[in-house]
Amino acid sequence: MKEQDRIYSSRSQRTGKFLKTGVKLGANYLKHYGKKMVTGEDNRDSLQERNAEDVYEALSSLKGSALKVAQMLSMDQGILPQAYTQKFAQAQYSAPPLSYPLVVKTFQQYFKESPTELFDSFSKQSVAAASIGQVHQASLNGKKLAVKVQYPGVATSIQSDLKMVKPVVSTMFNISQAEINHYLEEVEVRLLEETDYELELQRGQSISEACKDIKGLRFPKYYEEFSSERILTMDWLEGLHLDKFIATNPDQESRNQLGQILWDFYDFQIHKLRELHADPHPGNFLFNQNGELGIIDFGCIKTLPDSFYQNYFQIMKPAISENEEEFLDLLYKLQFLLPSDSEKEVNHFKVIYADLLKLLGRPFFEEQFDFSNKAYFEEVYALSEIFQNDKLVRNAKAGRGPKDAIYLNRTYFGLYNILHLLGAKIHTHSAVNDLFLV
Amino acid sequence: MASTSTAKKKSTKKDLRAKILEAYQEQLLLKGENPASVYAFCKDLGISESEFYQHFSDFEAVASQFWIGIFKESTKRLGGSPEWDEFMVREKLLTFYYSFFEAIKGHRSYALLTLKGSLLGFKKEFADIKDLKTDYKKWLKGLINEGQAQGEIAGRSKLSDIYDDIFWYQFMFLLDFWRKDRSSNFEKTDEAIEKSVNLSFDLIEKNALDSAFDFGKFIFQNR
Repeated sequence: MKEQDRIYSSRSQRTGKFLKTGVKLGANYLKHYGKKMVTGEDNRDSLQERNAEDVYEALSSLKGSALKVAQMLSMDQGILPQAYTQKFAQAQYSAPPLSYPLVVKTFQQYFKESPTELFDSFSKQSVAAASIGQVHQASLNGKKLAVKVQYPGVATSIQSDLKMVKPVVSTMFNISQAEINHYLEEVEVRLLEETDYELELQRGQSISEACKDIKGLRFPKYYEEFSSERILTMDWLEGLHLDKFIATNPDQESRNQLGQILWDFYDFQIHKLRELHADPHPGNFLFNQNGELGIIDFGCIKTLPDSFYQNYFQIMKPAISENEEEFLDLLYKLQFLLPSDSEKEVNHFKVIYADLLKLLGRPFFEEQFDFSNKAYFEEVYALSEIFQNDKLVRNAKAGRGPKDAIYLNRTYFGLYNILHLLGAKIHTHSAVNDLFLV
Repeated sequence: MASTSTAKKKSTKKDLRAKILEAYQEQLLLKGENPASVYAFCKDLGISESEFYQHFSDFEAVASQFWIGIFKESTKRLGGSPEWDEFMVREKLLTFYYSFFEAIKGHRSYALLTLKGSLLGFKKEFADIKDLKTDYKKWLKGLINEGQAQGEIAGRSKLSDIYDDIFWYQFMFLLDFWRKDRSSNFEKTDEAIEKSVNLSFDLIEKNALDSAFDFGKFIFQNR
């Protein structure tokens, strides 16, 4: 009984944190509308920024999976205003580092030996934070290795965090609880998979094997003998994270080259493997000055079911909305429209989705697309804001869109974002064009 | 010859001690209560009462030996680790807790049986762990002295004297936490160890508290 009390009390404390944010958000809105009434100015940007800051503050003090969920939802909803996404881009799971004795204990638990006995050298301090663990540098027989060690208790805290986050995020982001549920099922499965390092090892091996012919891609080799549920050992890849790489002022040619490798990597996974590395977080890519791209972290892999895949890319065909019958049919199939929708809702949503698809699909419709194009991204944000503030969307009682799309959308969102930061010009001609011909 | 025979004697002596402890634990685990008398216990075990009294004065002493045994086993293992000497005191204490809870894992049923009540009630200290308390505090004093000598731990006149008591309560808190822990592989206990040790060391390190205290004292004396 006592234990129950403890869990509930800590959960209510965390919920309290959220509620406080809710109140703060409310206050921001009041300030905003008050100012608008007095001055007649409508500075939505600064309002959004203030909101984003408060939301971010609350979430980052929560850490863990609650933060991840918020990140996911924000990405999928389009879909958050620019200010939010900027803030969330900074968000990382940043738990305090594991002490070295606990790292040793974890090693002993799985290998009966301490890390210094297993490797020639092993860094006592972690060198980086991974999404649910930390990375140490080790060496063995002259080879540099990266060793990821998972925080204890992550899997159990994910489940309780998700339960807690649901009602609150639903009010925070104006999404009905039904819709949140729809997402959370999918998110929970993926997040739990991420805690299984043995699975990650297999997937890392199989995807890097499948993609070995793509030029310029580099994958670490994984070491099964030094890996377990909570420890993952792989080669240490040299390279810079995106922000550091950009800071070196690379020329346009290498920007394009690296961007193209990234694009081809995703294109191949989505259309050929139908299975993808669905965590295009800038931290998972290492940019190398000799034009190579290192891919790490195969914790989050999404498999695309056939029927979903067909429908999803059919609806991306250029000018699909002009063929009303086919378009509506696909919208129903993908659950963007629901059988229970009224005629008014159908007419309303179909216009919104047509606009959204036209815009988000634009890179695919051209032979070459310049992702440095700021105007394009402004347009995307503007449209998602319209979408977000749409009364009918806000009051939707049910979740819309297939749950399989969450991770695919997130991937494209992350991919567009990285290519935009990189300022790359990409040949987007790909396997998807063959689909358009059908 | 003489030396081997004493060694042999010593080892049988030790064996008997272990045998009594084991039999006592088994009895408690199976029947849920102390044996009716030392006489009955010895008879079951096939030893004489005087042999029993050579090692223990009563059952309480046997029960207490269990905890001392685990404690000794885990502290002994610490010195064996090659990195031990390089560790900060914080890391040494963490390592001790991890190895203590690892060692006691194999005896969880017995530990739970004897730890029925909460350890944090403070009303009446659990008799079985009285000796553990003495040993632990002695060991910890050594650590604290080491930490103070290296400047890792702030010396705070009166407060420093009760550091060992504070850490004893932390130990009891962790033991109590472990008792109630139902997570797989007691991962939650690992987290509790990590967080509580970090907190306690953040507090006893030289920090804002010392400056605040220093300033307060200055104001008090000079106004």
